[in-house]
Amino acid sequence: MPKHVFRLLVLLGAGLAAALVAKWYFTAESFYQFGHYRAGSVAEIAAQEPVLQTSAYCQACHGERHAQWSAANHKTVTCEVCHGPAQGHPQKGKLPIPADTRQLCSLCHERMAERPRTQPQIDLAQHGAGQQCAACHNPHAPKLAGVVAKVSGDAASGRKKHAESCASCHGADGISPNDTWPNLAGQHAAYLVTILGAYKSGAQTDVMMSTVAQTLSDAEIQNLAAYYAGLSCKTAAGEKAAGDAAAGKALAKNCSACHGDTGIGTNPAWPNIAGQKAVYLANTLKAFRAGLRKDPMMAGVVRGLNDADIANLAAYYAAQSCGPRKPS
Amino acid sequence: MKKRDAISALRARRLFLRRIGGAALAAGTPAVVQKAAAESFPTPGYDWTKRRWAFGVDATKCIGCLRCVEACKVENEVPLTAHHFRTWVERYVYLEGENRPRIDSHADPVNIAASGSEREYRFANRYQDAKVEKAFFVPKLCNQCEHPPCVQVCPVGATYKAKDGVVLIDHKYCIGCRYCVQACPYGARYFDEEKGVSDKCTWCYHRITRGLQPACVEACPVGARVFGDRNDRQSPISLFIRNNRVHVLKPETGNAPNVFYVGLDKEVN
Repeated sequence: MPKHVFRLLVLLGAGLAAALVAKWYFTAESFYQFGHYRAGSVAEIAAQEPVLQTSAYCQACHGERHAQWSAANHKTVTCEVCHGPAQGHPQKGKLPIPADTRQLCSLCHERMAERPRTQPQIDLAQHGAGQQCAACHNPHAPKLAGVVAKVSGDAASGRKKHAESCASCHGADGISPNDTWPNLAGQHAAYLVTILGAYKSGAQTDVMMSTVAQTLSDAEIQNLAAYYAGLSCKTAAGEKAAGDAAAGKALAKNCSACHGDTGIGTNPAWPNIAGQKAVYLANTLKAFRAGLRKDPMMAGVVRGLNDADIANLAAYYAAQSCGPRKPS
Repeated sequence: MKKRDAISALRARRLFLRRIGGAALAAGTPAVVQKAAAESFPTPGYDWTKRRWAFGVDATKCIGCLRCVEACKVENEVPLTAHHFRTWVERYVYLEGENRPRIDSHADPVNIAASGSEREYRFANRYQDAKVEKAFFVPKLCNQCEHPPCVQVCPVGATYKAKDGVVLIDHKYCIGCRYCVQACPYGARYFDEEKGVSDKCTWCYHRITRGLQPACVEACPVGARVFGDRNDRQSPISLFIRNNRVHVLKPETGNAPNVFYVGLDKEVN
């Protein structure tokens, strides 16, 4: 073999060897294990830590909230959609409670032609008078219990039952003799049916009312509701309430969507509170706040109220005129 | 030369020890455990040969709330700008008298203005005063194609199709050439300028290998996104495909996508 050919071959051979060594050296160990890629990278990607922890993680500590949420119609909206990822919580601190619920809720519920019709939607300009959604809706159980009960009672029969069972506390004409028990005269019949039904079934409890309501038949409840709704709510002006009615008026903006500007609700499912006893109103709000009286909407509304706020609100509503006598 | 020799000697020794260690372990463990351990890849609790993942989207349910986009970005450390995303939602609006839809996504300037920043996502109610004939949302994400063109063009083997069907990216091997971004006919890939690598949806591989749902499925409040294992005939995705007439995006490309759609309109592809 001529010398120059031999040299060329040696050079080629050396080059090839260098290339092979380089390839062997630079190729990752797991590169061809399953194909033309580094098998080790699969495990690396799988090793990333999940950021969203799922609602089951939240349930461990927030069991009560979780139970309420998972029984209501927001159960498909998981905790972390509104509160953010729970990774590192609680060690790294609290998760946010969204303040601007009007902004948050409208992400899903602002009326748009693009959304499926089955999605509950509202016109932002016309709904809730610019209030925060959470003022009326409990984000964990947003559906308002505004189902209007049917009223088909006989007021005359109701009057008899009233004299037997109720008049001793709520007054001969449905106007309570003291500040602790509520007036019933002129109250919405549908609301009375609902609340008496709740006391009867045990959904709502009260030292006095539970025992009384359990003795009532459904027909008697209907009759009583019809009777009270037909009474005049006009009362003599009571003693001055403890709170500041002017301050209460400012707070009452958060209540007006359901209870009206002066405590006369438009929806008969919700009670009138205008001219109601101040102490009764304050006690009831405190009961909602403590969870003794159960209502998902009211629970959300009173959450941010302190004792002074409650006194002011009670004073405001107690001072309002209960309005014209409502036909039953 | 010396250094290389030293390294290769080290490697040979490491391999040798590993084999010895493996043999010792094998001798000491019961047969069942041993079999599972040998087969389970990539993690001890997850075997990628047993799964055939697929994804379903019911476009008729989507309300365009973009919680999926938000959840995805948080879960996968996607840059918080409007134009980097692993999943997105398109809005199609046919106005009266127009025969082509108007299409936008969260990255549209009007929608960025409505949300307030590029870090938040919201569809502006821009058609509330228009005469809308027909309108709907379509969620999109990587289709994890059966024949992925993005994998075909990668010059360095940095992207590949895992045995359970997910197309993954090896960020350590990616050289940032962006061929794959160009090759995807669905626009599912983006380039992360900060890390210098391509990125895309992995169906939250780190979640599904732990038995969790992908973040977007977890977040969707209306059940428009469905995920599961096609090997399990009772999984949500198997039922979704069986009980609906499903369609895929751009079937003519032959990529054979693994995201199945219900409720696509003719203009969507």
